[in-house]
Amino acid sequence: MSGEDRFVLCMLAPAALILGLLVAYPVGLLIFDSFFKVDTITPQIREWVGLQNYVDALTSKRVAESALRTVQYSIFALFFEFAFGFCAALLFSALAGGARWHRTIFALPLMVPPIVAGLLWRFLLVGNIGILNYGLARLGLISDPNAIAWLSNEDIVIYSVSFADIWLTTSFVALVSYAGLMNVPKDLLEAARIDGANAFKRFWHVTLPLMRPVIAVIVIVRGVDAAKTFDLIWIQTQGGPRHASEVFSMNIYQRMVRFGDLGEASASGTLFLIVMMLLAAAAYWKIWRPAHA
Amino acid sequence: MHRAPRLDISAVLINTAALVLVLSYAVPYIYLLMTALKPAADVQQIPPSFFPAVLSLENFREVLQSSTLPRAFVSSLTVAVLTTALSLLVAVPAAYVATQYRRRITTLFLLFALVTRMVPSVSLGVPLFQLLKSIGLLDTIPGLVLAHTSAAAPLALLLMSAFFEGVPKELEEAARMDGCTRLQAFRKIILPVMTGGIAVTALFTFITSWNEFLYALLLTSEATKTAPIVIAEYNSVYGLAWGAMTAAAVLYSLPVIIVTLALQKQIVGGLTFGAVKG
Amino acid sequence: MKKLLGASALALICIAASAKAETINVLVEGGGEMLQKAVAQKFTAETGIEVKFTVVPYQGVFDKFSAEIASGSSAFDVVTIDVVWNAKFANHVEDLSTLFTDAVRKDLPPVLLADAKVGGKMIGMPTWANAEIVFYRKDLFDKPGEKEAFQAKYGYPLAPPKTWQQWRDMAKFFTRDTDGDGKVDFWGTDTIGTFSEEWMAHVLQAGSPGVILDHDGKVIIDNEAHKKALEFYIAPHCADHSVPENVNEIGWGEAQNLFYQGKTAMMKFWAHAYKMTPADSKVSGKVGVAPMLAGDAGIAAVPGPWYNVVPSTSQHKDAAKKFIAFAIANNALGIEAPLGLAATNSAYSSYASKPGYEHFTPLLETLGAPATQGRPMNEKYQEIVDEAVLPAVQEALTCKADVGEVLKEAKETIEGILN
Repeated sequence: MSGEDRFVLCMLAPAALILGLLVAYPVGLLIFDSFFKVDTITPQIREWVGLQNYVDALTSKRVAESALRTVQYSIFALFFEFAFGFCAALLFSALAGGARWHRTIFALPLMVPPIVAGLLWRFLLVGNIGILNYGLARLGLISDPNAIAWLSNEDIVIYSVSFADIWLTTSFVALVSYAGLMNVPKDLLEAARIDGANAFKRFWHVTLPLMRPVIAVIVIVRGVDAAKTFDLIWIQTQGGPRHASEVFSMNIYQRMVRFGDLGEASASGTLFLIVMMLLAAAAYWKIWRPAHA
Repeated sequence: MHRAPRLDISAVLINTAALVLVLSYAVPYIYLLMTALKPAADVQQIPPSFFPAVLSLENFREVLQSSTLPRAFVSSLTVAVLTTALSLLVAVPAAYVATQYRRRITTLFLLFALVTRMVPSVSLGVPLFQLLKSIGLLDTIPGLVLAHTSAAAPLALLLMSAFFEGVPKELEEAARMDGCTRLQAFRKIILPVMTGGIAVTALFTFITSWNEFLYALLLTSEATKTAPIVIAEYNSVYGLAWGAMTAAAVLYSLPVIIVTLALQKQIVGGLTFGAVKG
Repeated sequence: MKKLLGASALALICIAASAKAETINVLVEGGGEMLQKAVAQKFTAETGIEVKFTVVPYQGVFDKFSAEIASGSSAFDVVTIDVVWNAKFANHVEDLSTLFTDAVRKDLPPVLLADAKVGGKMIGMPTWANAEIVFYRKDLFDKPGEKEAFQAKYGYPLAPPKTWQQWRDMAKFFTRDTDGDGKVDFWGTDTIGTFSEEWMAHVLQAGSPGVILDHDGKVIIDNEAHKKALEFYIAPHCADHSVPENVNEIGWGEAQNLFYQGKTAMMKFWAHAYKMTPADSKVSGKVGVAPMLAGDAGIAAVPGPWYNVVPSTSQHKDAAKKFIAFAIANNALGIEAPLGLAATNSAYSSYASKPGYEHFTPLLETLGAPATQGRPMNEKYQEIVDEAVLPAVQEALTCKADVGEVLKEAKETIEGILN
């Protein structure tokens, strides 16, 4: 083994050790369980069913609907988080003085536990006590505070519950993008400016390509997190009305914990994992476009 | 950026836009604070009001008199700090070699590390419970730190990889030409340039642990209960003590605000090629 | 010989030491700790056995207990569980039949005894019981102007509602625009769209032999009683418009808040809310209580009791059983807690005449009514509710569905789940 190889392995070892211990067993068990018919509280009583759980999950209407809703939710949330967050980062980087206070105040949503954030947004959106509608009515944007039933209208509820998520995580996008922007070597920008490129061209040809890894990470992390969301939506609507805001992870929770169906929930979990890995790999190859060593 | 006279208008525009954006995100938090300052009976008024009709500290008083919350705060803080330290310790070196010394094994490792983040935590909760129980770490700080690290370290790994990607190979090569070993190059040349990235990563690792609920619920009992559990208890089957909950949440966000401010100082522009020629 | 003496001495010391230090761990939800703290203190004083409470949020009791059972050993000696979980955990807890002496049996409402029996075992001891009763605004109901207007319009005196028709009439009567801006801002009552327990009470009032399932486990959700009850349940919303419109957002907390904020004239709600009305709320001092409504089968409700169970893997089963027996014998001690609930008739009646406990008499009457019954003790109860019952109620509440069709569909779904 070359000195370089040894160096690489030594640097990887602590992470490999910890993650191996903590990841391998739970995830391994998850995949293992997905091939059995087994109850959550009596895992020692199990019956091999092969791929039956997967077939059940893939043909279940409920699962398909919750998957669709997850896609709707994730794309909607990710789009706005990214748009607002990236713009915020650009604005902050253009401000003189480092914008420390701006960035900190913008990060306030992050400091609220998801349970409280969910309730907070519930109380902003729910009828009668929801102050958002009263504000909108005052501004004349809607005729009457009862005009929009954010959380009880089945068509829009899946989007309404994402407001809390967008609020909570835009600052993640903003702060990480900001750090990424700060990492762009100033010499390169200087050189481009001397060559006559205007601000937009500098951004497009110098900054953006160098930001690819950061953007990829944001998309992967936030995209997966949005698809995984559970607490936030549960607190707001418990998946209602009539399952209109039930996302995939809620479906898994229901199956596994409330109905005790560990086998099928594990199959759903494994399917989720596979899809997420594929999406992450796609984001990695297409957006990050890693340079070769 | 140059400040040609024409750009003053755009400076004003930029400042206004930034202010509008920041304030609109701050408004719900301010509403949280306002709610905490209302008398308990007014917190769910119909029709609702934004500002308290009368300022009241009764919610804060109720929360501070609670016997379990202060201890839970300490638990949360300890676990968050240790999780951040451990996550950075394992993730930073790994991210460095994953990007600077790219090989198949490092790419595979990155993908493998992502796995815990890609499964809904509810699926991992019970196996983690059994794992920690079998090594006797239930309801202990180290146990919860390990659980949180399993979620936070992959995030740290990903973030640091993205930041390390921007470091040009020349930097390390120059250091090694000057006689440093690989490790010394890493510690003395690369890391100092990465303080911004490390600060951001530390911040989000800290927050991941600070607000974490599910693992804390399953893996702790009275001894090491963290604050999010105590806060969730205000929402009992018999009623939601919303005033007290908002007060507790406001108090709980204060340490993070301090940590954020402190870490933000580190996130400034740093990397220049001048350092290579240096 | 010396070795034997030494070993015996050691054993004696160990026994003595462990006897002194015996502790039992109790897993509870927040309200549960409140109600059992006083009992625990008295217990420790009398027996020397320490009682440690582990308090978690509501869902945490289920999640933690499930995780403990799945792992094969339990850190808890007593768990206080919601009745909806009785069937689920029945096979993993001790049989407590020996604790159900004749005296204990006589002192408990029959419905609580029935819910404790799963598969022939008495799986838990009731710790406290709760049921929905009628809350109404005394000040409005006593006002001469209101009394006259109501008598004139409906032909009978205004008094706390006893029947379905009276409920609807009074709800319609009180729904009004109080500030003259053309929009209704005060309603007769509210309709809950996020839970189905209240509808279940009406099902029993209508005379159904059971809720959703009958005693043999057959699906009866589409019988006449269920249909009548569902039609009544949606009437205030769909026909009378005497409730706030956003029924899908109204759960227990919202209903309670509407009443406390002075926005509804009546509500059906869990009895504990009477004692928990905040002193500085708009309605404090103006709240009256009455037993649950009566249908063709009389008064009926679905109780929401909690049970103390002993996990089969507990290491301190005897001490745990002692605690549970002690708790039921001293059931009244819990009433002083803010939640103010109990399980035994004697506990409740001992406080019924005290000021501030006016809700105990209606509660006792409701709990003891012959038609009062618990939810079906089926392992798949949660799934049945989530997949069939609640969606059926919510579909009915859209006011655009045929109630009979909705219930038929629900029946099919439930039969699919059970088979």
